[in-house]
Amino acid sequence: MELAVATVTNLLILSSMYILVALGFAFLFNMLGILNFAHGVIYMLGGYIGLALISALGINQWAALIISALVIGAFGVFLEKFCFRPFVGDFNRIVMICVAIIVILQTSVNIIVGTQITSLPPFAEGVFKVGLASISYERIVTFAIGAVLLGAIIWFVNRTKWGQQMQAISQDMQGAFLQGINVHRISALASFIGCALAAIAGCLIGAYLSLGPFMGDFMLVKVLILAILSGAGSISGIFFAGLILGALDSVLPLFTSGAASDAIAVGIVVVVLLIRPQGFFGHEVEM
Amino acid sequence: MAKPAVLAGLVVIIALLPVLVSSHYIWHILILTFIYIIAAVSLRTITISGQFPLAHAAFMGIGAYLAGMASKWLGWSPWLTIPSAALVTMGIGMLIGYPFARLRALYYAMGSLFFGIGVIYMVYAGGTWTGGYAGLVGIGPMLGGSKIAHYYFFLGLALLSTLALYRFEFSRIGTTLKAIAQSHLVASSVGINEGWYRVLAVGMGCFFAGLAGAGYAHYNTVLSPASFNFMATLWLVMYVLIGGIESFAGPIIGTAILVLLPEFARDLKEYSPYISAGILLIVVYLMPRGLVSLPKLVMLWYSERKKGKKIAHVSGN
Repeated sequence: MELAVATVTNLLILSSMYILVALGFAFLFNMLGILNFAHGVIYMLGGYIGLALISALGINQWAALIISALVIGAFGVFLEKFCFRPFVGDFNRIVMICVAIIVILQTSVNIIVGTQITSLPPFAEGVFKVGLASISYERIVTFAIGAVLLGAIIWFVNRTKWGQQMQAISQDMQGAFLQGINVHRISALASFIGCALAAIAGCLIGAYLSLGPFMGDFMLVKVLILAILSGAGSISGIFFAGLILGALDSVLPLFTSGAASDAIAVGIVVVVLLIRPQGFFGHEVEM
Repeated sequence: MAKPAVLAGLVVIIALLPVLVSSHYIWHILILTFIYIIAAVSLRTITISGQFPLAHAAFMGIGAYLAGMASKWLGWSPWLTIPSAALVTMGIGMLIGYPFARLRALYYAMGSLFFGIGVIYMVYAGGTWTGGYAGLVGIGPMLGGSKIAHYYFFLGLALLSTLALYRFEFSRIGTTLKAIAQSHLVASSVGINEGWYRVLAVGMGCFFAGLAGAGYAHYNTVLSPASFNFMATLWLVMYVLIGGIESFAGPIIGTAILVLLPEFARDLKEYSPYISAGILLIVVYLMPRGLVSLPKLVMLWYSERKKGKKIAHVSGN
């Protein structure tokens, strides 16, 4: 019972965090056809900015969460405008830019904070008891924030004008352009939202698990898996893929060692890619 | 770029370097440069067929771990493990390349990326066989562990490999690969077996990646999975792209600059990664064709300036 509850809550939290980070990657992948390898570092930076605001400036942690999201969102707009937009369709230069961003941000964090593993103060304390099972409030809060944000994103993408414009650009960029959609503004907006979500996930994971300069590399692999499993152009696909990956990541370690379960997950992705390159829900991107 | 005299002079200088500079540290850095030159040039050989694999460091890792495990558990001599590891890596690369040949562009890159990640996870999961997270120790050394012998061995290996890959690129097969890269539909319509040629290019690249990895295993005698992970692959890609992917000399120049420059700036300690990042940004924004195009760009800038002055002079009067 204890194990089952722990597994299920772990599954839900991991899934929601993976999806939060992956959404930002998927926005840019769908709309501009960009593989943003720097997205993992942006997630890492979000956590560290939260840490800096809380420990150095002594700001309330909820305020720190929001400020970190805004700062990283602004950074995302900067990246989209100066690093990605000039090189859309040029895979080589996008990869180079991303590696440069990864190196600069990781080195800066190493110099300023150091390579040791730290963590944010928890957002909630105490344990919630139901019958035999007990869940810490930290887990509930983490999952609740993730779920609320994901719901808001679904609403935003499907129900608002900007969200629908984003979908239009993912389907056909030139067509959207001809319809009078301001492609640049919408992609900057998507980058803002994506990076802000990654920063929030960074802060939440930093409080729930830990914070390290190389946590972004681990998350980047998960994000790439999600993006490929769901396929380009599908936002709802990300949710299904996130649940699948969260389930694999929380159930497989019960049976095998951590590395073997990761290898199995990656193997599944390779097979999916060979059979259905466009993913479960998406369409192929021409480059 | 056919300046045999300049090239020969350069090779002679590099070959005489250990006599002039007797620092073990500099020799070590140069040996690593030779190893990475083999890997980077072989990566570029795959890209001339129009595929962009993101698993090259993983193939290096396959070669390295095969050689290391054969040396440690079977007691094979390095002269046996290095060629056989390279051949097995080539076989694995071709077997993997066959199903992957149906993927194109972005999807090929992603597929190979996941393959590379999977290889590293398999090494982690290998337990005592591969050394797992701790790394593989106790690989038999070669050449009696002498630094200077290693220097000449890897210099010779790098020269032979680049020569072989150069011959390969400008052979009939290499030309066919370039044709496929330009348009796979036209290439198939004139009777080129596209899939087979793409697999062949991957096999060729993987052979030399395995060679470089196996040599590295016996040189270093300790292997860590982290040296072959996704970031290592990205760095190999950077070596190729910085120099210029369109020319054969590109990866050689790129590797030399990206490996040597941060090492010579060691006084900066933890700030030295900024130098690599700075070079990357300069190349991205100012030299879209890589560092190889630098002389041409300078000449172009100079002639434009001259022209501009002349026009100003004429209009001034």
